[in-house]
Amino acid sequence: MTPTKATDYFAIFGLPRKLWIEMGALEQKFLQLSWKLHPDNFVNAPEQARELSLKRSSELNDAYRTLRDPVARVEYLLGIEGARKEGEHKQQAPPELLEEVFELNESLDELRDAKESGGDLAALKSRLQSAEKNFQEKLSEVDVQLQDAGREWDAALDGDDPTRNKIKARLNELLNRRSYIRNLVTNVQKELL
Amino acid sequence: MAYSDKVVEHYNNPRNVGSLPKEDPNVGTGLVGAPECGDVMKLQMKINPDTQIIEEAKFKTFGCGSAIASSSLATEWVKGKTVEEALSIKNTDIVRELSLPPVKIHCSVLAEDAIKAAIGDWKKKHGVEVPVTEKASH
Repeated sequence: MTPTKATDYFAIFGLPRKLWIEMGALEQKFLQLSWKLHPDNFVNAPEQARELSLKRSSELNDAYRTLRDPVARVEYLLGIEGARKEGEHKQQAPPELLEEVFELNESLDELRDAKESGGDLAALKSRLQSAEKNFQEKLSEVDVQLQDAGREWDAALDGDDPTRNKIKARLNELLNRRSYIRNLVTNVQKELL
Repeated sequence: MAYSDKVVEHYNNPRNVGSLPKEDPNVGTGLVGAPECGDVMKLQMKINPDTQIIEEAKFKTFGCGSAIASSSLATEWVKGKTVEEALSIKNTDIVRELSLPPVKIHCSVLAEDAIKAAIGDWKKKHGVEVPVTEKASH
């Protein structure tokens, strides 16, 4: 859902476009706003107002769901800042990561073959399990980096454009890296089921 | 979206799948990937140091049909060529040959990058200065 010009998700909650959000306060505000928009309050209201409250209410739910999730929050922020670039082939992945991805894919292939031919799965599985662990660790690393970049963003809220653009590019890069690793983890988990 | 006949053909009958010994001084290995879509492509060539002719080329690619077809075609094209000739292969040549749609152009870019990376690796092994080649047109 695209927010209207005047209301982005941050504005709905009366928040600046900062990446650090106090969860307790966000929840409080959410409950408060939900209460205001509750259909019960509009039973006798004109149809237009009823519809508007429904629309606002669903917008509020989307906003809350997005802002509550630290990754979705960054993604959304970059979106409204016009800086989210997905699938753009900009930077080459680091060689060590490519190496690992390649090996992992080979192991996945082997596991699929072994499953089909009823071969020995135990060794392959343990290899994949350690690969999964490894990628999970990488995922946590990216999340920490994402948090750090988020703090930089908040600190530069009133900063100059070049600084802000640099942080946005960094956040974007981290999100891409995160989704890359996330996909790998999902693929491994699918095969391990 | 349907794949072109040539993509399907390469996908069903990929040429030169496999690998060459990475440690062989005459073998150059290029490993490239596109983090966003999860494609990884490994291209290896065995190059005669005297003639600079690419005698063998192998690839292994994890990715979509277009990525596989692009790398399969790349190995076919570089075989028998000199290093310099291989470096002149452009991703646009691959796009044209395989009739790749715009959304799959990155696959051809990967293949061009892989050729350059493999040759770069071989040159490094031989202590040859890697000339500043044009980057693929991303």
